[in-house]
Amino acid sequence: MGRRAVSGRGREGDEPVVAVTDRDPETEGADLVPDHERDARPPTLAVVASLVAAAVATLAVVLVAPIGGAIVGLATVALTAGLFRRSARLLSWGVGIGLVGIAIAGYFGGAIEPLLVGGVALAFAWDLADHGLSVGEQVGREARTRRNVAVHAGTNLLVGGVAVGIAYGVSVAAGGGRPVAALALLLFGGVLLASAFR
Amino acid sequence: MTADEESEVTAEPRWRSRPAFGTGRWDGVTGVALALVGVGVVARQPGLVVLGAVGVGYGLYGRIGEAPEATLAVTRTVTDDAPSPGDEVTVVIRAQNVGEGLLPDLRIVDGVPSGLEVIDGPARIATALRPGATATFAYTVRASRGEHEWGELTAITRDAAGSRERVTAIEATPATRVVCMPALAAGGALPLRRLTTADHGRVPTDLGGSGVEFYATREYRRGDPLTRIDWNRRARTGELSTLELREERAATVILLIDAREAAYVARDPRGDTAVETSVEAAGQAFTALLDAGDRVGIATLGPLDCWLAPGAGTVQAARGRETLATDPALAPTPNDGRFYRSLWFRRFRRRLPTDAQVLFFTPLVDGLSARLARRIDAYGHLVTVLSPDATADETLGQRLVRSERRERLRELRSAGIRTVEWGDEPFPVAVARATSRWSR
Repeated sequence: MGRRAVSGRGREGDEPVVAVTDRDPETEGADLVPDHERDARPPTLAVVASLVAAAVATLAVVLVAPIGGAIVGLATVALTAGLFRRSARLLSWGVGIGLVGIAIAGYFGGAIEPLLVGGVALAFAWDLADHGLSVGEQVGREARTRRNVAVHAGTNLLVGGVAVGIAYGVSVAAGGGRPVAALALLLFGGVLLASAFR
Repeated sequence: MTADEESEVTAEPRWRSRPAFGTGRWDGVTGVALALVGVGVVARQPGLVVLGAVGVGYGLYGRIGEAPEATLAVTRTVTDDAPSPGDEVTVVIRAQNVGEGLLPDLRIVDGVPSGLEVIDGPARIATALRPGATATFAYTVRASRGEHEWGELTAITRDAAGSRERVTAIEATPATRVVCMPALAAGGALPLRRLTTADHGRVPTDLGGSGVEFYATREYRRGDPLTRIDWNRRARTGELSTLELREERAATVILLIDAREAAYVARDPRGDTAVETSVEAAGQAFTALLDAGDRVGIATLGPLDCWLAPGAGTVQAARGRETLATDPALAPTPNDGRFYRSLWFRRFRRRLPTDAQVLFFTPLVDGLSARLARRIDAYGHLVTVLSPDATADETLGQRLVRSERRERLRELRSAGIRTVEWGDEPFPVAVARATSRWSR
């Protein structure tokens, strides 16, 4: 009998056949462990709203510049993939691609309004998708999440609306946006203000 | 229900929050905005500059605000706090925001005891609460043997933008506890090995004396009762001789249940673990032995200490039932503590009465349990191994474990240790089948 002073958790020779079901909420890779308590996919409301917003963004940018629109379409695909594969990294890539698309559309001289709609819709789509991922991971699809998602979506739209209102209003007031450098300086002030917070 | 009355008590808010941390959700958005402005300035496109300004707005949104503490008063009620195994128990959580501020993003995860399985609805919710508002959600668990105490709720709060997150542990009032005590099923007679006490009982011994079964004859000694004199022989030969009958005595039995982490194995992920099956069988053996007049005790092999000294009578029956149902050492999920084999063995031997025999319930999925059985047997405490079969045969590894277990059983049998093995059939059936093979 091989004796040791301290046995290694009583486990010698071989592993047990099947371990007890892992119910640790922090376990990564929910596919490996059949967690029958919950469905860790993002809530349906978040997915649908996010994809609709991404489609709106694509449509808005396509109206300005088809090339930019195509790239934003690619971003929509990436966002969709990120939602279904539950990967926040894919979502980040998606929003990055979308911003490139919008920048290209703007570079080729798109009108301000569709660009703003595209930008806000893209931000909304990403924000809701990412929020949905975290809610799905922590709470799951089957739980009641509607209120949470709705509040988050509402706040995001509010912020986007206010930001667009201020920026667009300033650009109109500053004389149709003719002196771009002046606008940029104004913006620099805004950035300073932003970094003053925390 | 007492739980309902208790829920009327106004809840004292009790929470502990950890420091907030950044989620990094909006990181870099200001940089992206500035890049857009840069492109706009270079290309002389005001549209991009305005878009950049909007981006700065999002940057600001991501920077202001802090994840609030989850200032919740939570009450938890269960429909039944003493269910039978398999009953469905509905748990209702009411969480009220008793703080001053808005909780724009609140996720609550209830601390369901690890031994209970949630069968309807996740024990979680995501919501937003105004000051004074209440969120209510319910879920259903299936009761299983044991004493289950709910842990703290975990509340995860974020600020509106989701850029800061904070985890708060909340104690619900009143503390929720469910005790699920199965009735001990009556088991069939379990043949014991011949290690007995001096008391009369039902285990046949190799001792001559008073009893019912013929054992031997011996020379007459003065004082032998007249009824035991072999009168036929006296008539035939003229000699007086006395009939000896097989004495039946009571035994002291320790039911030893393997509850190490390694014993928490099941044939499939949702099936009963071997510990659960062992406890059920031990319950049947306990009742059967106690009814037969034997002295029975309970011990576990595992990190937690559990010892019910052998005894008899109705008090012992109640104690045994409680031990098997609620002892933490036999909890439905394994204990995290370390198991020290030599310490355990020394303590077990010290407690074991010299005339005690051991019924060892173990799935035998590792070598240690088989070695221990032989070791206890070698010390003179006759061992019967009762092994629930928790092995499967779908994959190569499972088949290997199964054949290793068979090999262990075979070795135990060849070492003279009695074994009973049972899989799908009920425990008494397996005992009856195995008993017919044993030599007495």
